[in-house]
Amino acid sequence: MHPVLQHLIDNDFRDLAGSRVEGQLSLSDDLINLGIHELLAQLTAPAPAPPAPTEVPSPKPQTTTPAPDPRALLGKLDVEKLNYRTETGRTIVEIACAIKN
Amino acid sequence: MPIPASPTIASLLRTPAAALAGTDLRISLPLTRSLLNEVLAARPPDTPVQQLLIDPESGNRFRVHLTAHAPVVGSVTRRITFVPGPAVAFPDQPWLRFDIVDGLGFLDRSLISLLQGQIEARLPQGVELTSKYLRLHVPALLTHLGYQQLVPLIRELDLHSEANRLILQLHLKTD
Repeated sequence: MHPVLQHLIDNDFRDLAGSRVEGQLSLSDDLINLGIHELLAQLTAPAPAPPAPTEVPSPKPQTTTPAPDPRALLGKLDVEKLNYRTETGRTIVEIACAIKN
Repeated sequence: MPIPASPTIASLLRTPAAALAGTDLRISLPLTRSLLNEVLAARPPDTPVQQLLIDPESGNRFRVHLTAHAPVVGSVTRRITFVPGPAVAFPDQPWLRFDIVDGLGFLDRSLISLLQGQIEARLPQGVELTSKYLRLHVPALLTHLGYQQLVPLIRELDLHSEANRLILQLHLKTD
C-alpha cells in the first residue's frame, strides 16, 4: 500500500477533515458499464488457491495490509445533498458533502 | 503515466473529457502539515534533496526546510519562505507561482543565477526555479507526468496557506 494512503488510514482520515466537494459528477454509460463488468469479474473470480506447502518454511510470514474499511471514511461524511438522475447516455450525481472536522 | 490496475480507472484517465462530460465539481482540500510531509517523504529516492519538510503558516506563507546537494558548494541546508501567487486559471494563467520572500542570502541568489542552466536541466519539464520564485507550468507538468488528458478539465486551481495546512481549491469542468 502506498505510504500516504497508509498514513491516512492509520490516522483515521483525520488529515482530510474539512475537505469539501460540491457540484455535479457526470459519468458516461461506457464508464459505468466498464465498472459493472469489472465488479462482476471480481465477484465471480475463483478464490486464489492456498500456497502449496513447502519443506523449508519461509523465515518470515508474508503480511498484507488489510483494505481500509469504507465505513471508517463514510462515517465522517456530512452529506448535504445527494441527488441521482440519468440522462441519455449519462449517469449524473449532484452532490454537496464534506468531511467532518 | 502509470497504468492503473483497474480498467475502469484506466479508461477514465485515458479519455476523461468523454467519460466525465457534463461534470462540474468544486473541490476544497485542506492538506495538513503531517499529510504534506508524508507526501514529501514518499518522493523518489534518487532526488538530490536529502531532507525536505514543509511548514504552512498563517498569512498565506509557508516555510520549506531542505537539505540538498548543490553543485560546487556541496550539501546545503536552508529554510525558505514561500508566498503562493494567484490562482491557476486555464487557459489564460497556467502558472502556479510561489514567490521566495525569505531564506536565501545574497550568495545563494548569486549562485542560483550563476547555475541557472544546470538547475533548469535537472528540473522536470514545467518547473522553473530562480532566486526569486518557484513556478510550475501546470499543463506542461501534467503532460510530463503523462496526465495531459486531464489538463482541459482544470478550470481553476488555487493554493494558499493557513496555520498548519495548505488549502487546495480545484474547479473541474468538462464542456
